[in-house]
Amino acid sequence: MAPGAPSQSPANLGSPPTGTRPPDQAISLASSPRHHSTNLSARQPANGTCIATDTASFEPSQTISAHKMDGVEKELDRLTGKANLSNSIRDIDGCLELLMAAKANIEADPASTASTMASLEVQLKAGFDRTNDSLKEVYTGLNKYGKALDKKFKPVNMSDYDVLSTHQPLINRAIAMHLLREGNFSIAETFISEAELAAPIPPKLEADFRAMYHIKEALRLRDLGPAIEWAASKRRELEARGSNLEFELHRLQYVVYLFGDGEDGPRKALEYSRREFLPFQQKYLAEISQLAGALLWREKMPTSPYADILNSDAAWSAVADSFTSEFCSLINLSAESPLYVAATAGAIALPTLLKMTSIMKEKKTEWTSQNELPVEIPLPDKYKFHSIFVCPVSKEQTTDLNPPMMIPCGHVLAKDSLQKLSRSGNRFKCPYCPADSMPKDARELYL
Amino acid sequence: MAQKSASTLNPETHLLLDQPLLRLPHEVLRKIFKTSQKYVEQDTKKISELAKEATKAADPASPDASIASINTMITRMQGLKRKMENLHEEEKLVHSQARKRTTHLKDLYGLSSLLEDGYGKWSKVRLDRLLVDYMLRNGYSESAKKLAHEKGIDELVDIDVFLQCWSIEESLHRKSTTECLAWCQENKNALKKIKSTLEFELRLQQYIELVRERKLGDAVAYARKYLSGNFDSHPYDFHRASCMLAFPPDRPGPYKDLYAESRWGHLVHTFVATHHNLYNIPQGPLLHVALSAGLSALKTPSCHSTLPSSRSNTASSVTSLCPICSTELNDLAIHVPYGHHTTSWVEHDLVVLPNGRVYGTRRLEDLANKLGLAAGRVRDPITGEEWDSEEVRKVFIS
Repeated sequence: MAPGAPSQSPANLGSPPTGTRPPDQAISLASSPRHHSTNLSARQPANGTCIATDTASFEPSQTISAHKMDGVEKELDRLTGKANLSNSIRDIDGCLELLMAAKANIEADPASTASTMASLEVQLKAGFDRTNDSLKEVYTGLNKYGKALDKKFKPVNMSDYDVLSTHQPLINRAIAMHLLREGNFSIAETFISEAELAAPIPPKLEADFRAMYHIKEALRLRDLGPAIEWAASKRRELEARGSNLEFELHRLQYVVYLFGDGEDGPRKALEYSRREFLPFQQKYLAEISQLAGALLWREKMPTSPYADILNSDAAWSAVADSFTSEFCSLINLSAESPLYVAATAGAIALPTLLKMTSIMKEKKTEWTSQNELPVEIPLPDKYKFHSIFVCPVSKEQTTDLNPPMMIPCGHVLAKDSLQKLSRSGNRFKCPYCPADSMPKDARELYL
Repeated sequence: MAQKSASTLNPETHLLLDQPLLRLPHEVLRKIFKTSQKYVEQDTKKISELAKEATKAADPASPDASIASINTMITRMQGLKRKMENLHEEEKLVHSQARKRTTHLKDLYGLSSLLEDGYGKWSKVRLDRLLVDYMLRNGYSESAKKLAHEKGIDELVDIDVFLQCWSIEESLHRKSTTECLAWCQENKNALKKIKSTLEFELRLQQYIELVRERKLGDAVAYARKYLSGNFDSHPYDFHRASCMLAFPPDRPGPYKDLYAESRWGHLVHTFVATHHNLYNIPQGPLLHVALSAGLSALKTPSCHSTLPSSRSNTASSVTSLCPICSTELNDLAIHVPYGHHTTSWVEHDLVVLPNGRVYGTRRLEDLANKLGLAAGRVRDPITGEEWDSEEVRKVFIS
């Protein structure tokens, strides 16, 4: 509790701690699915090709999902159970025994040499036949396993989708950065030397990733020290971004003291708050008051819902996520590994792309619109990062050259559409409402 | 329920990228089987012959001769047993590998949503697998081994197969055909089945090298031994090879392409294609496929725009950078088309600021709250400009 702050009435504890919003709030509110679409209907761009518009036919087939991996597993069981080389080895052992027995027989009774040898020849032949039969079983097992795989996986030609094969240096750089970001420093080092990166990773970036890893490791071990130290050193930048990270870290530290140190806890927490909360007093008065209140109610806190909110796995992982996101933003990178996000989105997109290609092949059409995919890929909202504006008139996405324009009634059109509607500068009616306006009154928007 | 279907996980189609995971062990098992069959055939044939002769020669007066024959047969049989046991050990390893992989793929069937934590974890493993595959195919072997080992996915990747492939690739780069020819010998039947021209190409190259060194006699002898047998299938190449004798490398005439150094690159390419074909693995790294698809799906016209995006940005804590806009992938993504969208996708309650930037009301309130702005003020999260909320107006995007 900051010195001089008004002491908190217990009634204030009746409302959940308001504090600051978790940083991912922005993302979740942005992800409202108002305009979400999984519509796969093909596009018909002016310059592009027209491909099948049968929506249903684009849906990846779901027919055999009930079988899961059962068929494959069953055949694998056969291979590990019987259809392997162990049986032929057993047969070979049998043949060895025959040879040993014949040898012993002759040694014991040289007179039987001829008959022993004759019967050995016959017995060996039978033994070899058995060995071959056992091998046949392996052969059959492998064939059945192969058939199970064929049934499970339709063969696809993936090379159609490789447009990156000529960009190895860029891929290598992305991988090196991914390894560093994930804290795999030793692998990254090996990789960077093996791949002979054309554009080396800036040492500054590597140092940053090491610092980030160090702080995250500390957080994982529930040590807030390094994170607090970092946040304090970046206080100005973080404040300018509207980040509450530093206060969030201090607040968690306070709670850790309060509940973590037995009888001594409240005293430590109080001391900590006196020492650290001062700079935050003005901005976070309500939160600090609440924390101070928690001090009085400590005995009951562990059983109350607040303890959970304030000092739980969720609280720790929220702080860690918040830290990662702030740290990456300050070095101008996205919060999650781009390589991971892109590879995952790729796996989600592939079934649709494969379906599209097979339909295009069937219809013998080609995909002529080189800079835009011919089909919409349904991605979950968390894979959407930019606002997208599709002009309601032209059905095209806006670009730098053809940006969204707002007309005075508040409706938005693409610039090209606006120019067409107004027939070069004349007054025109909004396609949405009765209002009419002059194109010169339209304003460019930045999404 | 658009949202629901976009995050629904359909394992059946989702596993497209993963079939090589099981295809390759199957091919390895087939190879092991073929080898075992060859061993059994050779050794039993030999032992049968020995047995037959020994029976004929059997004489009660000299049992020692028969015992000696039996001993020979025993040695041979034991040799066969040892070879079979070694193969069986290899087989068991591959079985356990296939089991682990099947289980890994089956794990996906336990998930139903792309938003589950479990899917995130599974997808991380998949990325590690794709990375190891990429590294192996490019000869970054140490990195691949380290990554596989540290992530505990040794059984989900095919280090040995790719290492062998890479060492042969390297030998071809060093202009040595020995290793690759040995590999052809090892896989003779399989190559014949797919009508591979690899061996002929290698032999032709050997011949070309002899011609290049002007060892014409050797060259002719070599052609007689290794090329003439393939005359029927490669008459054109054979004629050209014969005629090039008359054109030394400094005046190659029409045979420039045969003398070209790039022919070695062509051999590497042919070998790798043949190798991957035999093992039923994709020709290129699957990472390329995943990234090509993923970059396109994520990319928007804003990703390479000169204007800062209002949503994907590192300037404020209420925005976060899109992976395509991040340094790691930005240059790479220039080369792929952007995603197709039929409907707009924007935040609720959009407003436009006097500078033309568009934001969701909640985002602006959130930021004002975090910054502790005075009531009735808004700040542009990207440019930092501030206004009275009266200057903000609603905008309608549908």
